[in-house]
Order: sequence, then C-alpha cells, then structure tokens
Amino acid sequence: MTQNGSGETQPPLLEVNDLKVEFDTYGGTVQAVRGVSFSIEGGQTLAIVGESGCGKSVTVQTLMGLVPMPPGRLKSGTATLRGENILGQTQIGGKDFRGSEIGMIFQDPMTSLNPTMTIGRQIAETLEVHRGWSRKKSLARAVELLEMARIPEAAQRAKQYPFEFSGGMLQRAMIAMAIACEPAILIADEPTTALDVTIQAQVLDLMQDLQRDRGTAIILITHDLGVVARMADEVAVMYAGQIVERGSVDDIFYRPAHPYTVGLRAAMPSNNPAAEHRLLPIEGSPPDLFSPPVGCAYAARCPHAMRVCNTHDPAPFAVGKGHFGKCWLHHERVPGGAQRIVSAIAGATTGDVVQPASANQGDAR
Amino acid sequence: MLLYAIKRLILGIITVWFIATATFLAMHAVPGDPLSGDKAMTAQIRQNLEKKYGLDKPIGEQYLIYLNNLAHGDLGISYTQKNREVNDIIRENFPISATLGIMAVVFAGIGGTLFGALTALYRNKWPDTVIMLAVILGISVPSFVFAAFSQLIIVKINTALGFSLLPVAGWGTVSHILVPSMVLGLGTMAYLTRLMRSSMLEIVSSDYIRTANAKGLAQTRIFTQHQIRNAILPLVTVLGPAIAAITTGSFVVELVFAIPGLGRYFVQAVQQLDYTVIMGTTVFFGAFLVLMVILVDLLYGFIDPRVRLN
Repeated sequence: MTQNGSGETQPPLLEVNDLKVEFDTYGGTVQAVRGVSFSIEGGQTLAIVGESGCGKSVTVQTLMGLVPMPPGRLKSGTATLRGENILGQTQIGGKDFRGSEIGMIFQDPMTSLNPTMTIGRQIAETLEVHRGWSRKKSLARAVELLEMARIPEAAQRAKQYPFEFSGGMLQRAMIAMAIACEPAILIADEPTTALDVTIQAQVLDLMQDLQRDRGTAIILITHDLGVVARMADEVAVMYAGQIVERGSVDDIFYRPAHPYTVGLRAAMPSNNPAAEHRLLPIEGSPPDLFSPPVGCAYAARCPHAMRVCNTHDPAPFAVGKGHFGKCWLHHERVPGGAQRIVSAIAGATTGDVVQPASANQGDAR
Repeated sequence: MLLYAIKRLILGIITVWFIATATFLAMHAVPGDPLSGDKAMTAQIRQNLEKKYGLDKPIGEQYLIYLNNLAHGDLGISYTQKNREVNDIIRENFPISATLGIMAVVFAGIGGTLFGALTALYRNKWPDTVIMLAVILGISVPSFVFAAFSQLIIVKINTALGFSLLPVAGWGTVSHILVPSMVLGLGTMAYLTRLMRSSMLEIVSSDYIRTANAKGLAQTRIFTQHQIRNAILPLVTVLGPAIAAITTGSFVVELVFAIPGLGRYFVQAVQQLDYTVIMGTTVFFGAFLVLMVILVDLLYGFIDPRVRLN
C-alpha cells in the first residue's frame, strides 16, 4: 500500500495492516472495520478522528483484545508490536502486553473504575500483576503515580473510592493507572469527551508531559478537531470503517486530501466573533455497514462525487510524504481534482486557512 | 455509621411493637380461646381459670399487662403445656431452628452465588440451560414437596445400600442437619441464583471490567477481585427478606423432618389458641427478623463503600 515509512532494519513500535473486524448480529453482519492500516513510533502521537460509529474504538479495542468474540470476528489483518504479533492474542512470550506494553484509558472515567475498590489498589494491582511487586511496594508506587498525575494529597486519595473523586481527577487517576508499568504506547479512547472544557485541558496537558518525559507513543481517539490540533503529530481520518486520509497534523488542517476531512473541518465551530458563521454540517448520514457501498463509502454525501465514485472504491493516493487521501479526485484523469477538495475549504470556512490552493502544489514538488 | 445503626435499632423496636400489637389484636379477634378445648369444663372452673390467667379483664387492660411483661422480657406461661414458660420453650427450641436456618441461609448464599456465577460464565451454553431449568423448579415447587421427595430418595438409597447412610428424619447429629437445611434453602438458593446471574451478566459487560482487561489482569483475578464483590451486592440486599422466607418456611420443613424446632411449637400453639405461646414466638421471630435485616443492611455498607458514607 502507500505506507512505506516502515524501516527494514527495525520494525515499527506498532504496525497494523489491513485490519478487518466484523460483528455477527441478528440483523446480519456489521463490517465495523474494513481494512485499517497504520503504524506508530515511540514519542509520536497519532490521532484517529471520525464521527461516531466509524470504527475508531473497535480498531483499538481489537488490538487490545477487548472486543468480545463472538459476536466480533477478526476477518483479516495483522498487528505487530516491535515485530511480534499481538492480534488475536493478549500475550507476547507468555506475558500479557496489556497494561505492561500498551496502556489504555477510556471515555467515561466515572464508570471505568471498579466502584468497590480503592483507587490506590486499582493502580497497584497492575504493578503486582506485571512486575510481581509486593502489595505494599505497589501501593507506595501508586501514590507516587497519583502525585505524578497531579492528584493533591495523593496518599489520602489513594485510600478513597472512585465515587469520592471528581470526573477530571478520575481520568487523571486512570492515566496514572495506565502508565503504571511505563508502557511504550498509551491508547486514549476519547479521554476528554466526558469532561468539561477546563478539565479537558488538564488531562491533555498531563498526557503531553508524560509523553515528553518518557517518550510514550500515544494513540488518541477523538472526534474533537481542537484536541487533534493541540496533541497530534499524525492524523488518521476514519470513515465507515476505513482510513480515508492519513497525514501530518498540518496536512490534515491545511492540505486536506479528502472531502470528508474538509467536511469535518468545516463543521468545526469557529470562535471568530467577526465572522458571520453558521455551523456547516455534513449532510446525510454514514452508510449502512451491514452492506457497505461498492464504491467510495463517502460518495453519497460528497459534494464532488463523480460516476466512478459509486462503482469503484478508490485506492489511497499518495499526495505528499506520508500523506494520502482515499479519493478519486487525486486520479490523474481528474485534472485539477485535488484543487477542488482544497478550494472547498476556502469556500466553507471563513478564510482563516492560509494559501489553500498553493499548498497542494507545494507538496507535488 | 454508629448513629445509623442506633437509628435503625430504634426503628426496629417500633416495628416489633407494631408486630406485637397486631398479633395481640388478631389473636383476640379469632373466635374461641385457650380454654375452649376438647374437654368440657364447668362454668365455675372456667371462671377460675380465666381469673388465674387474667382473661376476665377488659382487652385494653390485658394489652397493657402484656406490653408491660414484654418490656421486662417476660413472655408468660403456656396455657396448654403444664408449667412451661414461653421463655423456656424458646430457649430450648430456638437454637435448633436457628441452626437449621443458618445452615439453610449459608447453603442458599453459597449455592446461589456459585450457580449464578456459573450460569453467567456459561451463558447460553448447556450448564446455563440446565441450572436455569432447575432454578425454575426450585422457585415454583413448595418446600414440603421437596422435603417429602428427599425423604423418599433417602429411604431408597438406604435400602439399596443396606445400611443407613442418612437419617430420614429426627435431630441430633450433623447428618440430621444436612438434608433438611438443603431443602429449606432450596427456594432461596434458586432465587439468589437468578439474581446473581443477571447481576454477573451486567457486570461482565461493564466499563470497569473492560478496564481490568485492558490492564492485562488474568481472568481468574478479574473474577475474584472485580466481579464477585460487585455482583454480590444485589444478593446482600435481598438476604434480609431471604432469611425471613427461610425462617417462616422452616415451620413446614421442621414438621416433615420431625425436627423439634420452634416452628412446630408455633404451629401447635396457633391450633390450640395458646395465646402466650403464639404471642411470644411471633414477637420473638419478628424481633429476630428485624435484627437480621438491620445486620444485613450494616453488612451492605461494609461491602459497598458508597453506602458507608451516606
């Protein structure tokens, strides 16, 4: 495929290839993830964005072995952590990589912690299991981790139960728990969605600081483009179970290569009071994943849809270094197609995007 | 926590007073009295006896005397059994009923938790189907049917073996407790199994179990540390009423297995309109149950930290 960044000498930290996950339901088979590929290196932040139901969470939960199978089913694909397979298993060399190599935090911290166990115990548990530490040593470390997560009076707080914490504190405790064993990768599945805005910033800051100190790779799942702009190095835009565009954060914001990305961008509310601004939704709704369309999944909602879009699924077209868009407009037989995508931004937003047209040409050098 | 316990205790005493009053009124509303038995007695003897037991006094006065005695822990003398205080009857026979009841509750609690967890783990597979079928039987078939059936089975086994493996009835040794307590606890166990199953299923798909999985904990650890304690909460809630059900159910089971427990005296007393024994045992059972419910509620606070503070 178009991804060619993976070095021959050393395998990437995490590499996922052509992941396909289906769910058998009474109504039929839902093709939730339809061929997702990405890779991530240490210290990087990869944001996976897309609307609800596009397969973001299923993708990472499959990697973590959290999708119950059945009803879930792994149709195809590979996933390797430093070259070792992790798909369909939870152990590498007899040890569970979850919690030790890959930590994960979830959307709703209020329900993601055991209500009848103290916060300290829940953090310490990870250390006991993966490091084989004593109960006492693990608890002492748990207090340190809570301090690191900027929980005031950590020693007392460690003895408390989740219901005695606020939402933001719980999410920070979750982070402390996820990083207890210093994993190489932290997966954050919509970590700030359930929190209010000021708390969001604290949680994101904490994640960034930890990444800087430890070189942790972060896979950030979100539908908040503001969070993406703040956190991400790389962005993968998902739609209907596929990655439709992948590129650096600048690529995604300034040189989008897929009409869906443009649509997401335009749907973002602006806080520019001078601009007369209406929210621009993406009309229509995502396709039925019981029977996904033969052609491009976005064609039905795409303002630039052509005849070919309904009959043939586009391949990912490379539009720059490490940047691809899965859209027929990049085909050589559509002259000026790429410009059409980009110029749509200028029309759609209030003009706070600089040099829309020339950006793409710059990439073509 | 202590304040809460005291508050509950005071409310409990009021409940017991209510039970005592209701029983008193109900009893006197029933036609006949302890003296109108098989033996016909002359008007004179009757009058003397009524005077002796204070039955000739107006009902309001009787009530006050009764309450006063009750407050002093005096439950009175039996009308029909010679020279037996109700306190003695309770002291002698309640430990037997209590042993039976506690064994039944333990049996129901452990069995319910275990089978419930099992059905949830093997959801929609054959262990689930088999156990849930048994649960429906356990809930719908009354305990005296099970009692009779179990006796029949014991007899069959004993004759087949040629020696007495288990006693059919009676009281005295550990082997005497086994079958009656199982029969007594069966209905409650079935109910607890069903409750545990739904509670487990709910928790298996909960967010914090997903978190526990994402931490890389072994399944057994997740089960013991995270699932059981949370799943057991609804069971503890119904344990109070469950104890009530078991104790009242014990009347029948005691009768079938010829166990000299308190239940038998209670039933006998009702038939003979032995006022003091009815009153005494009812109030005693009532107080016992109220205490059990309070204890269960305190236990609940111990298991669920969220209740502790509120």
